[in-house]
Amino acid sequence: MSFLGSFVLRGFGITLRHMFVTYTEAARRMLGKRTNGRRGPGAKGIFTWQYPEERVPLPERFRVLPVLLYDEETGAIRCTACGICTKVCPPQCIWIVQAKGDDGKPRQKPEEFTIETNVCMNCGMCAEFCPFDAIKMDHRFELAGRERKPGEIHRLPDLLVSTAYYAKTHPGDWGREEEKRRAKAAAKQ
Amino acid sequence: MTPRADAALEEEVRKRVTVTTWNAILDTVEDFASWGRRSSIWPLVPGTACCAIEFICAAASRFDIARFGAELLRASPRQADVMIVAGTVTKKMAPVLVRLYDQMAEPKYVISVGACANGGGPFKEGYTVVSGLDEFLPVDVYVRGCPATPSAILDGLIELQKKMDAERFLSTWRFGKRTELPVPVLGPDIVDVRQAGEIGALLGRNEPQRLKPPREVPKARPAARVADAGLADATAQVKAVAAKLASKFGGDRIQAHAGGALVVDRGIWGEAAKSLRDEFGFDYLANLTAADYSDCLEAVYHICGIEKAVPRMTVKVRAPRESPEVPSVTPVWAGANLQEREAWDLLGMKFTGHPDLRRILTWEGFHGHPLRKDWMEPYYEEPVKPFSIRWREGRYVPAEDRNRWHRNVMYPAGAKLDGGAAEPEPCDEEAGLLLSMGPQHPSTHGVFQMRVLLDGERVRKLEPVLGYLHRNHEKIGERNTWLMNMPFTDRLDYFTSMSNGLAYASSVERLAGLKVPERAEYIRVIMAELTRIINHLLAIGFQLNDLGTWFTPLLYALEERELIIDLFEAVSGSRMMCNYMRFSGVARDLPPGWLEEVRKLVVERLPRGIDQLDNFLTKNEVVYMRLKGIGVLSRQTALNTSVAGPVLRASGVKYDIRKAEPYSIYDRFEFDVPVFTHGDSYDRYLVRLAEMRQSLRILSQALKQIPDAGPIIDRNQYLLRVPEGETYGRFENPKGELGFYLVSDGGMNPYRYHIRAPSYINLTPLEEMCKGHLVADVVAILGSVDIVMGEVDR
Repeated sequence: MSFLGSFVLRGFGITLRHMFVTYTEAARRMLGKRTNGRRGPGAKGIFTWQYPEERVPLPERFRVLPVLLYDEETGAIRCTACGICTKVCPPQCIWIVQAKGDDGKPRQKPEEFTIETNVCMNCGMCAEFCPFDAIKMDHRFELAGRERKPGEIHRLPDLLVSTAYYAKTHPGDWGREEEKRRAKAAAKQ
Repeated sequence: MTPRADAALEEEVRKRVTVTTWNAILDTVEDFASWGRRSSIWPLVPGTACCAIEFICAAASRFDIARFGAELLRASPRQADVMIVAGTVTKKMAPVLVRLYDQMAEPKYVISVGACANGGGPFKEGYTVVSGLDEFLPVDVYVRGCPATPSAILDGLIELQKKMDAERFLSTWRFGKRTELPVPVLGPDIVDVRQAGEIGALLGRNEPQRLKPPREVPKARPAARVADAGLADATAQVKAVAAKLASKFGGDRIQAHAGGALVVDRGIWGEAAKSLRDEFGFDYLANLTAADYSDCLEAVYHICGIEKAVPRMTVKVRAPRESPEVPSVTPVWAGANLQEREAWDLLGMKFTGHPDLRRILTWEGFHGHPLRKDWMEPYYEEPVKPFSIRWREGRYVPAEDRNRWHRNVMYPAGAKLDGGAAEPEPCDEEAGLLLSMGPQHPSTHGVFQMRVLLDGERVRKLEPVLGYLHRNHEKIGERNTWLMNMPFTDRLDYFTSMSNGLAYASSVERLAGLKVPERAEYIRVIMAELTRIINHLLAIGFQLNDLGTWFTPLLYALEERELIIDLFEAVSGSRMMCNYMRFSGVARDLPPGWLEEVRKLVVERLPRGIDQLDNFLTKNEVVYMRLKGIGVLSRQTALNTSVAGPVLRASGVKYDIRKAEPYSIYDRFEFDVPVFTHGDSYDRYLVRLAEMRQSLRILSQALKQIPDAGPIIDRNQYLLRVPEGETYGRFENPKGELGFYLVSDGGMNPYRYHIRAPSYINLTPLEEMCKGHLVADVVAILGSVDIVMGEVDR
């Protein structure tokens, strides 16, 4: 059956069906028949995540700003100030001052480490090419603030997070990296 | 009683007794007023760049900004109280934003979203980007991230609500109070009128521009005999063409370079171009640009024949740097129009005989031609990256401190600061109503402006005004190392970052002769085709938005898109800016279970989603009446104006680069090229719908054939040395032909990096399509062309 406007009505039907499905799906979710209907190929019904009360789960590779890791036990910063991240950074927002010993010789440690977060493009190349697994991409995205200046420049103390934190946000990567490290250590012995 | 007990007692009293002072009552009323205000925010969203898409997602079903009472997105500043600037603010856009702010109702707030709006972002070093919205507007909340995810945007909104809660609105508010800010003017650079006196005084003293002269200035190199790596067998073709042309125009005026380029003397170029089109069948100008060398300026043309299937050929026309004039080819290929204007604007190549050779991406009165090698921008540091001052002694110096104006501006000595040349009035000779649509307009798909001359309600003339999002991709790209450009390509057409990356990576691989592992090739194709589906879903959704359905079809489209970008996020870490392709492979292997998800999506979910849109819209009477016969682009015009992609195929030209010049592994898949013949907006819609189904076909084949394991990258290196040479890589991006013209001088950085942006060139015949139609149809036509400003303005 087709008359002028019949397909407009059919369109309304689709919208109406969407509305009904939200209720039927909500009921099924309440009855425990469906656990997760908001993500993945089977998503159906209500699609909304009630941020901030609930959050869309972040994948492990999710990236916002870079952070530097220090060892949970020893407190040692992993960064050796080799400068590779400054060389791969596309907008050139990483600045490193290499530490110097009392004898004036350069040491494998950063004295200053600065990231301009308002220039950073969250591309993750620094973490990708860091040979020491020292710089990593953080998951924290709730960074809204009322002032521009504080929080714009991340210095060394702002950047440091513990390996335990990283192990929690990136369990898969952390496991693989640890395994590699252990294998390397075993090969040395 | 001790004072402590006193305090405790008071506390107890406060808890149990309702205190009824005037202040307390007023406080309650104030709380109520604040609650009311913060729960009914009417945002004005100048979606200047990529972050705007994330804002749209925040407004769509997954994040649903309506839960915060802020879903009433207004396009007019007079109805809005919060301005959410989502994306890069360019110098051309800043005056517009200030004007909008001035017109907003009091009390007004500004949220700045994304690294670019906060502080210039990755484009800060560019010459037309404002390094921070707060230079011109009082910003209340900064949302960080590049791009800020929808959740982060909502977080910023909550922060603003907290601020509103704390405000005592009734007791501090004065009627009639208005904050109006001075609108900056565009002179040789953007001029903040509050600073004008200071600038004038400094300029009057005629001191040199910079605090310190740069340690190293960029140098141009001589133009070389170059090889086109893309066409192995082109030399024979070029030789044949050269021989024929030489017999006509004289042998000394035509040269064939060993690599495959034809060098034509500029004196005969106009004639030669005509003969190339008419006698040799080169009916399609794929790309036109110029390059700056120390001994000449070179105009580069990439032409091919579609009707007679003539393979692609490169033509070069050289002109001395002192008088860079070459004849315009617009009479031969109308598609040269916008491209020649761009080459004039950015490189100062003068095309004699061009009907309207004005600046296009910068503004009239801008100083210099930025892509010349010796032109340096205000925050210029060094000719190429990586910058040496970043490491070992990388003590942080803000870019602002490197410039005496403490801003991203530069004024040549003796510059006039009164606003330079006024906006030209292209339509003034005829009586009629001149209407400016954009750059702040809900249906211009970003910061696009059209100057429309109306005869009643009908369009008599239309001129696109571009450059409100010119982010200097090419200038920055020529300073970047080869790999650094990868995340920048994500920000060209921000809907299709995956296929942009594929195009750029493949172009560089061609030039450097790199091989890609089998599994990586399949991953790339899967990503590119998923991207095509995303793009077409959104193109259709936004087009319906333009027709006035408000949000409904777009919401369904965005829902499917969310499911796809969840997968992109899982594999690459970012929803939009994937930065996933690498030279000779991809960045990381697929996470476990990822392919299964895609299989389910491709087999079960997406076909249904596409069918739903089809059922919803295709036969819908309103859609049909609004699109059928609107914006007809004839086959001839389509070819002549160099449009590409779905727009070309809707005009009856069966041309798809995946078939014509197969790249990656597209020759292994079976798929059709959908063609429709009416050339109207409705056919463009149908082409997109059909292409999504073809993409699904490719996807299901790719998902069957992909090897289960294997290397995903040959060698992931961050410093790639590319042998000397040049290439033009062309790729069938969802919006049309995306081309990368790359010239390498054998170093770590591209010498010339030009992007042939499909949405930019698809705008060429816009006036022709719109002529005689109603204003409302202009919106529909623009929607059917499907542009993204990040790519149009680059």
